[in-house]
Amino acid sequence: MSDPPTLPSRRKVFIAVVVALLTATALLFGVILPAEYGVDPLGTGELLGLLALGQARPIVSEEGEYRVDQVELPLYPGEWVEYFYRLEEGGSMLFTWAATGPVSYNFHAAPDGAPAGYAESFDGQESEQGHGTYTAPFSGIHGWYWENVGAGETTITLTTAGFYTSAEEGRARANGYKDLTDIRGNLIPSLP
Amino acid sequence: MVSPVRPILVCLLVAGLAVLSAGATLHAHPMEGTNAGFVQSVDGPALGPFLYLGAKHMVTGYDHLLFLVGVIFFLYRLKDIVLYVSLFTLGHSLTLLFGVLGDWSVNAYVIDAIIGLSVVYKGFENIDGFERVFNVKPNTKVAVLVFGLFHGLGLATKLQEFMVSENGLVANILSFNAGVEIGQFLALAVVLALLGVWRTRPSFLTHSFVTNTVLMVGGFLLAGIQVVGFVLFS
Repeated sequence: MSDPPTLPSRRKVFIAVVVALLTATALLFGVILPAEYGVDPLGTGELLGLLALGQARPIVSEEGEYRVDQVELPLYPGEWVEYFYRLEEGGSMLFTWAATGPVSYNFHAAPDGAPAGYAESFDGQESEQGHGTYTAPFSGIHGWYWENVGAGETTITLTTAGFYTSAEEGRARANGYKDLTDIRGNLIPSLP
Repeated sequence: MVSPVRPILVCLLVAGLAVLSAGATLHAHPMEGTNAGFVQSVDGPALGPFLYLGAKHMVTGYDHLLFLVGVIFFLYRLKDIVLYVSLFTLGHSLTLLFGVLGDWSVNAYVIDAIIGLSVVYKGFENIDGFERVFNVKPNTKVAVLVFGLFHGLGLATKLQEFMVSENGLVANILSFNAGVEIGQFLALAVVLALLGVWRTRPSFLTHSFVTNTVLMVGGFLLAGIQVVGFVLFS
């Protein structure tokens, strides 16, 4: 291929750069900043109805009954307990728990209508505390399994607030904590 | 005869794409939602997912794509395309690897603004701006390598935001990097196919000046978004 015919004139290049810069600036301030950052220096965001796009929605209203619960769950060494909630899809729950000794935990959920033995585990490790929010990915039961992995007695204090319809405890004395199953008959994996 | 309507239509179309891509970059670019949640929870090598994320990042990363379009715009021979794309790959792979491994803390807004300016640079070079305005002919090979280094830093900051675990870090970076190359290859194939068709028509040379001006618009936009983001959020 031969070289491009001729170089564009200097003036043409200047105009191109200025036009590019002005176009970009106009689009940036007129459209993108209102839509993406909720910043509206020219008032065009309001005019075009773009402003709503850039503003986060700090409030999400939820269906269902609001509940607050606090429980204390004492555990002997090697003993386990489950505590679970009924949440509809999209329902959320704010939680905080702390144990007085080392525990291993597993947060898992079983969707409605799932075959016995099916549960999805979302989080699990050894820790003495956990805090956060949980939003149910599906309707079903959702909750913790805790096991006392320390040498002494420990007590877990769990506080939750959210849009769940029931809170229930399930536990059994550990028999050497082998082949533990949860309330649905799921085998609970032994954690490292 | 080229009707006067056509260039205007082309401009509008490309400008529209530039706006959409600039907007999409804000969100499509950092890993978000379930992908981010996954990456944060990774502890150990996860080659498949990082390969996918790397490819996805490139295919949806309009700043990298616009730059590449600028780079290959006037490259007609396969040999040249391979050479320039290899230089770009070398550049971004180096800073991606060392940036994450060395835990360099670079401001993502600043890097992304420079990446936006790299698109402006390429458009300006393609309209022979350097010869015309500054009377210099920049070394295009060095330029693509140097901007490749900045693009790699951008990739590194994205990965750093989410990579929590040191476990399997090197394997995960390398598979992310391999994914980036796969995504780049796929995107280039599409761009080259389109350019190839367009180049056979006389409209290519007629509109190449306008197209590269629009490329500069896209670059200025990308840079502007990041500069404002830096001012507002850093």
